[in-house]
Amino acid sequence: MERIPFSVGNEGRQVFWNAETFETFLFLFTAIALLIFAYGIYRRWQLWVALGKPETRLDRLPERVKALLINGLIQVKTFREPYPGIMHGLIFFGFMVLIFGAAFDASEFHIAEPLGWAFLRGTFYLVFSFLMDLFGLAVLIGVLLALYRRYIRRPDGLGYQGKPDNTADDAVVLLLLFGIIMTGFVIEALRIRVTSPSWEVWSFGGWMLAKAFTAIEPEQAKLLHKATWWTHTFLSLGFIAYIPYSRLLHIITTPANHFLVSLKPAGYNEPIRDFETAETFGVGKIEEFTKKQVFDSDACTRCGRCQDGCPAYLSGKPLSPKKLIQDLKTFWLTQAPAAAAARRAVGNAATGAGETGGRGIVFKALDRIDAAVDRMGSGTTAGAASAETALVGGVIDLHELWACTNCLYCTENCSASIEHVPKIIGMRQYKVLTEADFAPELQLTFRNMENNSNPWGIGSHLRADWAKDLGIKTLAEDPAVEYLFYVGCSGSFDDRGKKVSSALAKILKAAGISFGILGTEEGCCGDSALRGGNEYLSQTLVQANIEVMNRYHVKKIITTCPHGYNALKKDYPNFGGEFEVYHHTEIIAELIAAGKITLKKPVEGLFTYHDSCFLGRYNGIYDQPRRILRAVPGLKLTEMERNLAKSFCCGAGGARMWMEEDIGERINNLRTDQAVAAGAGTIAVGCPFCLTMLSDGIKDRKKEETMAALDIAEIVWRAMDLEEAQPVAEACAAPQ
Amino acid sequence: MNIVACVKQVPDTEAQIRVKPDGSGIEEGGIKWVMNPYDEFGVEEALRLKEKNGGEVTIVCLGPARAMETIRTALAMGADKGIHINDPVFDGADAFTTASALAAAIKGIPHDIIFCGQRAIDDDSAQVGAILADLLGIPQVTVVTKLEFAGSAVKVIRPIEGAQLLIECPLPCLVTAQKGLNEPRYASLPGIMKAKKKPVDVKNAAALGVSADGKAKVVRFVPPPARAAGKIVCADGTPEGKAAELAKLLREEAKVI
Ligand code: SF4
Ligand code: SF4
Repeated sequence: MERIPFSVGNEGRQVFWNAETFETFLFLFTAIALLIFAYGIYRRWQLWVALGKPETRLDRLPERVKALLINGLIQVKTFREPYPGIMHGLIFFGFMVLIFGAAFDASEFHIAEPLGWAFLRGTFYLVFSFLMDLFGLAVLIGVLLALYRRYIRRPDGLGYQGKPDNTADDAVVLLLLFGIIMTGFVIEALRIRVTSPSWEVWSFGGWMLAKAFTAIEPEQAKLLHKATWWTHTFLSLGFIAYIPYSRLLHIITTPANHFLVSLKPAGYNEPIRDFETAETFGVGKIEEFTKKQVFDSDACTRCGRCQDGCPAYLSGKPLSPKKLIQDLKTFWLTQAPAAAAARRAVGNAATGAGETGGRGIVFKALDRIDAAVDRMGSGTTAGAASAETALVGGVIDLHELWACTNCLYCTENCSASIEHVPKIIGMRQYKVLTEADFAPELQLTFRNMENNSNPWGIGSHLRADWAKDLGIKTLAEDPAVEYLFYVGCSGSFDDRGKKVSSALAKILKAAGISFGILGTEEGCCGDSALRGGNEYLSQTLVQANIEVMNRYHVKKIITTCPHGYNALKKDYPNFGGEFEVYHHTEIIAELIAAGKITLKKPVEGLFTYHDSCFLGRYNGIYDQPRRILRAVPGLKLTEMERNLAKSFCCGAGGARMWMEEDIGERINNLRTDQAVAAGAGTIAVGCPFCLTMLSDGIKDRKKEETMAALDIAEIVWRAMDLEEAQPVAEACAAPQ
Repeated sequence: MNIVACVKQVPDTEAQIRVKPDGSGIEEGGIKWVMNPYDEFGVEEALRLKEKNGGEVTIVCLGPARAMETIRTALAMGADKGIHINDPVFDGADAFTTASALAAAIKGIPHDIIFCGQRAIDDDSAQVGAILADLLGIPQVTVVTKLEFAGSAVKVIRPIEGAQLLIECPLPCLVTAQKGLNEPRYASLPGIMKAKKKPVDVKNAAALGVSADGKAKVVRFVPPPARAAGKIVCADGTPEGKAAELAKLLREEAKVI
């Protein structure tokens, strides 16, 4: 075919210049690379499906596709951390463009040109050349940023307890990327050195590099070009083949995990439905996770974001969510091959060994290949001893398991949509329900809940004593109210919590809200039992409450405790408790906005608001508390460094409230330090657990003189200035 | 080894106790019933003995229908079977009647060692274990905080004022458990589920051949007097004045010094 010569006005280049008789080889090598890739995926697939209970997440497809596009393609979650986000973005988007470029080249050569439709010409070619160089450069910068970060800057997130967890694979992948791009530029430069058309200035990278090559004779340059071209080709094909066998697999698993993301409310717990006939409960063996939970671990990129804000990790406990997921992955990889083989044996037996159809032949051939590959690799696989290790207490240390506060920082900030908390709860369930082997103080808590429906074990008949002098009616006395004020255990029994309850009750009364309480008919919400692994107890408590609430036809509920709030909202519907649930900060913000209460008395001071995990990350309530505080006259609000979705837990969630904290620093003290660093005099909270923890932190850090922790309701009640002076009974007159 | 653990169902320590208007007993409505905590130490020790040395643990309990729950709790912890002595004639039974009924039930089964709580937290009489041992004609070691099994005997520790006794006692014998003996376990869920299917033999007075006459009779329940309101000592407001006033009140009104 006649080719119109390239010239100014008809810019272009000969695709596959200087690469005569390459086609057969290139196709052959490409086919081999693709086969190695496909085989790797096939083997991995076998491991993905080898173990675990079934869990299909193919409902609500439009939302799943959206998650895939937003977090898999546009990588919104990855960009939330600027440095690694940009670094990864440069590499990812750069590579995407380059792959399209390579596809353009190939289609120009193999399709368009033979048909006389050459399109890489003129301005399009120039822009194309420019973009290819630009994005090549982007990848290069990304790789350099990654090398710098991983090997020189070495942030803690890329390690565990100060020790980097780099593997050889990390370096191989980065060097591979570097090599592909560098050889690409060199090829371009050598071609320009030999052909030197003026428009190639658009290929700025190659153009500049070509200047360095002027000393090379054209013939030599051509030879060098050919060698580099093949190197580039091998590296690129090697990259493809390497994907399933390296950390590059995340190119597939991580987007897949975004697609498979939980569409349930944040931190949702799937209840155990069968207590009667099951032999074991929770997760004691890796196969008791669901397949999706196992797959999670293969989507983890070891990016360390989860660890960076994990209160357990940062306070020196052995738990790191990243390590947990990685340990599960390593363990899975020791367990899965045998399970996959067993599955296959069962499958073969089912299809009949004598099957001679097409499928049968293919599977048999694959089996042989697998066996051969396994023999080759048998020297390198982990020893069988590790396969014997117990999951809970072995692979996952018990101190790790029990250190988790269920704060959800990890899940919220994970760049791969991994769900850590249900795995932790599952393993706790195993320890508590199946083995009944767990901390004595937590056993006491559970007994207290069983006997008196509160964690302290205070007589349940005292539950409504806080309300005695406030003139609050119970639903038994007057069921025709709009809201049930579900007080919760802290609000009923804890001295500090009781003050919050009465502040809220007074606010509601002043605003003319019609509400009642359950009095002694109320029970513990079940959150601590659930997160402490005692789902059986939790369900008992939940059902008892629902029974009472439904008897009074409760529709709307107000809580002061985010734990009760979260449980009522997310767990109760599973057992027939469908309510509209409001946290008191939601209600108070409304009342202020509607002018139903007025905050007139200045409350002076610099305040900071501590986001409770169960309010913020679990339920997205970040704004209302801050809006309320801003409405208080005289009050100045400042933020702690860790806030909103990255807020730092107080240490009380996940039943940790009731457990000893004897490893490392106390989490509440660390959070108190953060408030001190923000210069705040008062820590405002919307959670009775946080209130206790931060009050203790203030005491522990000897700051009682200058600092305090207050609930939003207390601050608002103060600002409303409606407290009647109490006649102090029988007090002595102050001495002169 | 055949181990027996006697248990009693009592109101939870935190429960609000209200005496019936006629003084014939306490109001049972709203009360959470639990296993007597000292009996729980006994059950736990029984289970530990069994786990170490093999054998079987039988729970024996006298009480109304609701006491079955307490038996199930012990079975959930790991005991093997139960005997429930349930007969309205035993309502309000004294220590002697209770011990006689327990003795009659235990006589019918093999027993190498019997555990009781050192006392029940409701009536605090601390007699049932002792009478039971006597009725069975076996030795007893009471208020035990440590127990070691030594073939045909047990070695136990019994704290006394300012010291500890190390006692060796041949089997069969009866041991009453004191706090500190062990930490009772939390029942596992499979244990709770299995407990529902374990055998419990229900027996009445006739079957045991025990009369409910007893030796002691509760005449009347009287609630403790309500605590009087506190007094704030003001005097003339000076520390000295307050101290003098307080001393005077303690001597003349409270008569404690
Ligand atoms: S939930 Fe919180 S405490 Fe638990 S692992 Fe995740 S970040 Fe750490
Ligand atoms: S679990 Fe998520 S956040 Fe943590 S290291 Fe893995 S990918 Fe990163």
